[in-house]
Amino acid sequence: MPFKQSIENRLDPIALLAYIGLVLIGFINIYSASAGVDQEWLSLSTVARKQLVFIASAGLLALFIAYANVRLMDYFAYGFYGLAIALNIAVLFLGKEVAGAKSWFGYGGFGIQPSEFAKVATALALSKFLGTYGVRFKGWKNVTIALLLFLLPMGLILLQNDTGSALVFTAFFFMLYREGLPGFILISAVWLGFLAIIKIYLESLGVSYWYEYGILAGLASLFIYFTRSNKNLVRLTLMILVVSLVYSATIGWFYNQILQQYQRDRIELVLQLKEDRLGVGFNLEQSKIAIGAGEFSGRGFMEGTQTKMGFVPEQHTDFIFCTIGEEWGLLGVLVFFFIYGSLLMRLVFLSERQTTTAARVMGYSAASIFFVHFAINVGMTIGIVPVIGIPLPFISAGGSSLWAFTLLLFLFLRMDQKRM
Amino acid sequence: MDQNSNRRWVYILTFAAILLLYAMRIAGLQLGTTPYEQMAINNALNKVTLYPGRSVLFDRNGRILVRNTPAYDLKVFPKKMGSADSVLICQILGLDSADFAQRTLLAWINSKKRQRNNSYDRSAVFFSNLSPEQYAIIRENLYRLKAYYVEPKTDRLYNFNGSAHAFGYLGEVSEEMLESDPYYQPGDLVGITGIEKYYENQIRGIKGVKTVWQDRTYVEQGTVKNESFNKPAIAGPDVQLSLDMALQLLADSLMAGKRGSIVAIEPKTGEVLAFYNSPHYNPNLLVGQQRTEEFRKLLIDPKKPLYNRAVKGVYPPGSTVKPILALIGLQEGILTPETRHSCAGGYHMGSITVGCHPHPSPLALAQSIQISCNAYYCQLFRDIIDAPKYGNVREGYAILESYWRRFGLGSPTGIDLLGESGGNIPSVAQLDRRHGERWRSSMIISLGIGQGEILLTPIQLANLAAIIANRGYYYTPHLVKQIEGYSDTAWDRRFRTAHYTGIEPRHFVPVIQGMEMVTQVGGTARGAALDSVVVCAKTGTAQNPHGKDHSLFIAFAPKDDPQIAIAVIVENAGFGATYAAPIASLLMERYLHPERDTKKPYMKENMFNARLETP
Repeated sequence: MPFKQSIENRLDPIALLAYIGLVLIGFINIYSASAGVDQEWLSLSTVARKQLVFIASAGLLALFIAYANVRLMDYFAYGFYGLAIALNIAVLFLGKEVAGAKSWFGYGGFGIQPSEFAKVATALALSKFLGTYGVRFKGWKNVTIALLLFLLPMGLILLQNDTGSALVFTAFFFMLYREGLPGFILISAVWLGFLAIIKIYLESLGVSYWYEYGILAGLASLFIYFTRSNKNLVRLTLMILVVSLVYSATIGWFYNQILQQYQRDRIELVLQLKEDRLGVGFNLEQSKIAIGAGEFSGRGFMEGTQTKMGFVPEQHTDFIFCTIGEEWGLLGVLVFFFIYGSLLMRLVFLSERQTTTAARVMGYSAASIFFVHFAINVGMTIGIVPVIGIPLPFISAGGSSLWAFTLLLFLFLRMDQKRM
Repeated sequence: MDQNSNRRWVYILTFAAILLLYAMRIAGLQLGTTPYEQMAINNALNKVTLYPGRSVLFDRNGRILVRNTPAYDLKVFPKKMGSADSVLICQILGLDSADFAQRTLLAWINSKKRQRNNSYDRSAVFFSNLSPEQYAIIRENLYRLKAYYVEPKTDRLYNFNGSAHAFGYLGEVSEEMLESDPYYQPGDLVGITGIEKYYENQIRGIKGVKTVWQDRTYVEQGTVKNESFNKPAIAGPDVQLSLDMALQLLADSLMAGKRGSIVAIEPKTGEVLAFYNSPHYNPNLLVGQQRTEEFRKLLIDPKKPLYNRAVKGVYPPGSTVKPILALIGLQEGILTPETRHSCAGGYHMGSITVGCHPHPSPLALAQSIQISCNAYYCQLFRDIIDAPKYGNVREGYAILESYWRRFGLGSPTGIDLLGESGGNIPSVAQLDRRHGERWRSSMIISLGIGQGEILLTPIQLANLAAIIANRGYYYTPHLVKQIEGYSDTAWDRRFRTAHYTGIEPRHFVPVIQGMEMVTQVGGTARGAALDSVVVCAKTGTAQNPHGKDHSLFIAFAPKDDPQIAIAVIVENAGFGATYAAPIASLLMERYLHPERDTKKPYMKENMFNARLETP
């Protein structure tokens, strides 16, 4: 039926409300965190003034998408992806270095971070590829292309020395689960992460690895004993054991050779294997103090001394969550969590009602990216995740990230609006 | 819908699990027991001490004696110290690396200590009492000295030389005081001696505090608005001393080149009018940066200028205690005004001879004082302690001793200075140790003429004069007349309670008559008489094992309405009338007639020019 396409749904109001709510929360906290102590009401710091411009331009971007022809996305998906890849290569040569990472194009006081847009472009490209008629996430060829589509930008961003942004691309792994990635791969990933943490503990505490290997072998033997009738399961268990042992024996080398000292420090700090009262540890401690100081109802708008006096680092970008915690307390945190959680859940719900794979992939990509950013960023401020400098979507100050997240969200909402 | 639709629950549950985990963790941080809010406040607040001015000290006529002058301490945030400003600060202050390291260590220790006391002040004194030059240079360079700031406080400025032993001086607070009184911070100036020390708690005023926000780099970000965080400093109340500066200045010039002590008391109140020691020191030396160095010099000065003779020096009183012995004899009924004792050039008893100078004999009481007959008082001493009514000499002596003690002898008078000596009145036990338990009056007879184990401080001597002037009682001598806002406190009442000696006023009549005759024709100190009023006095010459006799003199005037009682001791000056009497006389004249020139300029000139001290 040709008419079906012309049915105009509304842009999903729940997601839209959540978006507006989050951007508003973001601005309030940026305003507060960047204000001086005796700043007059309604006078804006440079950071807050810039953020207003970013918000306004992000709004224009959203409006543009809302009225643009949805086919344009499909049409330009690969082109956009190609452009993003090109920019991420170019930044390696032409970018300026900020905090050790070469991931910014700078024009005067303004900067563009192409890695933020690479997320959107990758989501679009994956959405287009997996949405292509006859393509499924199955078979060596398709799986390889799909993986390459996000591993390529991830690699480029790693080359930019922006580990945090690169890490976010694992969100696409998570997304692919919905498209048929076997569950055991995700479970394996969790298992391998677990083994790595064990290894780091053992190494730091100077305990012999043979205990670990012994326990692993013992557990596997027990499991095999009880399932000995099932030959397949026995074989699988043995395979897992061998892989785990090999992995455990070699991960230490990777940990020490691939990761840099500051990265190891941050990991060991979170694992509480290390105390560091002056460097990152100081920042982490101050971050926890800030959030803890909020208590139940917060210290009040503009009253957060931890953030305002610069005890918390990057207080309006990566550590903006501290301001929410300090000034608005547990109540404010729960309100924020509620809105953010609502957006995530809503995106899953919306994705599931899509009729096309392309739209669904876009929705799950957005949800996964927003989730990974949230988990890493908030986890970092409360000392659960090592310090990794990535923004909190819609909240952290900064143009590139706000535009990229707005694009990501509204491209999907636009698809949802035009669903058949 | 494809077959993987159920996998949505993995996403939903993962999202929910992380949100829940984080919410619980945050709730744990925010509702847990760790005092994060206090930690945040401690982070961002710095308490800046506002130093009050110490009390201004006035003399009894309202002249300013001691006032304040601004002083500056260089404070440091040890955590923030860097190599650049360290080099600069060493240059400005002229520190070598060892000195710098020591100061840095001390600052670290003190700033830690402050934090433990739950103070927000993470800074510590690095260098106290900057010189004006250093202060000027540091002010100019403060923008380069990021870890440092200057905290103003107050130091002292003394307007008059010659009264240092009364005023005392300030010094940096000691470790013990820091431990015992949380009011103090390292580097604070506190009274070390004198009135500055005795009245420290009143004089210091009350420190104020200004609480400021400061960011991570310790840059001040404004004052905390909340009133409870800020408190103005309250200056110490005005303190009026009972000293008369005119007397102090005159004493200073009269005592030039002599060693000794002068104390004058207003008998009616116990207020100390003059309090002077020679040698003394210039109190303005013990101020500011050179304090420690100058103090060290004064400490090793062989002349002992820091020694407060007036309350610490002990002297055999010699004949100055004869009137007291007469009063005790009269009160006990052992002596009458008409009792006469003969003197044959001294007191002879067996092998003992106490010499006396030639004079008519026998003498009645008044003449015995006028002429200061040793034989009379040796006899009287024995009459008292050997009196049959006491049973034995030990009991008799105990009675005498208790009378002496009621005259404020043998224990500190309680003047408002610390470290006062009580002198010595030998107890029965002390005599037992000295002479064995079977001593007799003849063995201790020199006590009767103020020699032997009996030792008095100048303040006790002056107080004796005041007791006689009052006909039997005294108020505890004190240097501070009033402190603004402290009237009718325990301190005040202590100085307004009369102490009675138990001698009836009528017995004073013949004794005072004798003391009046001392300054008349035939007396030992005729030169001490004044043209306008009757001066009652007693000379004394105290034998001194270390050299020439000390010249002693006590007096009060006028006879019938005493305004001033005075004791003067000039060490190694010989006979009491030679130096001590004229000096006392000139001081009394000045006090009683502040508006007129002396009628005895020749005497004043002589005293100015007399140099007894061996250089």
